Amino acid sequence: MRRPPLILILVAITMIALGETAGAFLAPLRPAVERYARGRIAANPGAHGLTGSVEYDDEVRSRAVFAAEAGISFFHTHAEGLAPVILLAGTIVASVVPGGAVRGVLYGLLTAGALFPLGYVVYALAALETGREAGVGLAERYVLTPLGSAAILALLALVLLLGRAARARQPAR
Amino acid sequence: MTEATWRLPPIPVLLVAVALIACAEVGGGAMAQFKLELARWARGTMLARPQVHGLVGVRDVDEQILDEALVKFDAGLRLFHLHAEGMGTIIIVTTMVTASLVARPFWRRAIMALITAGGAGYPFGYLLWSGLIPFHGIARGKTMVEWLVWIPFGGAAIVAMWLLVGALTVQWLGRQRTP
Repeated sequence: MRRPPLILILVAITMIALGETAGAFLAPLRPAVERYARGRIAANPGAHGLTGSVEYDDEVRSRAVFAAEAGISFFHTHAEGLAPVILLAGTIVASVVPGGAVRGVLYGLLTAGALFPLGYVVYALAALETGREAGVGLAERYVLTPLGSAAILALLALVLLLGRAARARQPAR
Repeated sequence: MTEATWRLPPIPVLLVAVALIACAEVGGGAMAQFKLELARWARGTMLARPQVHGLVGVRDVDEQILDEALVKFDAGLRLFHLHAEGMGTIIIVTTMVTASLVARPFWRRAIMALITAGGAGYPFGYLLWSGLIPFHGIARGKTMVEWLVWIPFGGAAIVAMWLLVGALTVQWLGRQRTP
């Protein structure tokens, strides 16, 4: 099997490294993450709609902290899971897809797609800075949807190209 | 634009990774097959150690404590299954990248050893945590596993991964400078 370009490999391995490091923020460093999250919520009371009512505000804070932790958790799982898929898809492109231009486009889409999990970091941070709903919406609109679409497009195009290659290799009847 | 071919990592590395995936599969199957027996064993072991778990002899209070411990006991087994499947794959992929692209033998061997040992050892921490919960409680079991398994093995895997990122970055920058 042929290797995809070094930049695609570098991006995928960096995502795995970031994903593994994020795992540490879910276990031994969790208290520090919660402290940071609560600090950011306190610094942005308007964005979170804090009212000064202890019971209501505690509920809002808990939901925002949960969203931030969920963002890190999604980042951990997606970075560790998607990067090997991107490397595998890149290897198939390098080995099977003919034509430099088509391969180049697919490499570009796959490299962008490999960055998709970073959307969950934006999700976690934006939920703390702009409020849960606005933060999640921002991450989805500007990061998760475009980068996820790039990965989906690349994989669909690869399916089509593999289908075409399989048909071309069938002996004529 | 397309580079050379992939090189396989050494067979012992592949053996460890595939054995880890096999353990994860067996663990997942055993978890489902012996769910009741495992829960019964954990519950019996916890009831035999009331002081460790803060059981007071009041059914309503004790059942809540036992339920929470059993949920964590089950979560530990599930997390072992998930992490062993994931890390087995990560070991294969990252050592293949290391074998193919890290030129210096010292760094190649060091990165492979750290990824393989760290990646294969880390998931067993979840299994150990599950095993320790009935004997030492949720929090003490977690602390023990953190120091015995998660920090050393997880740390080794993280260090190895960043060393690999560094080696690839140096190589990429070198290629950018070469006309």
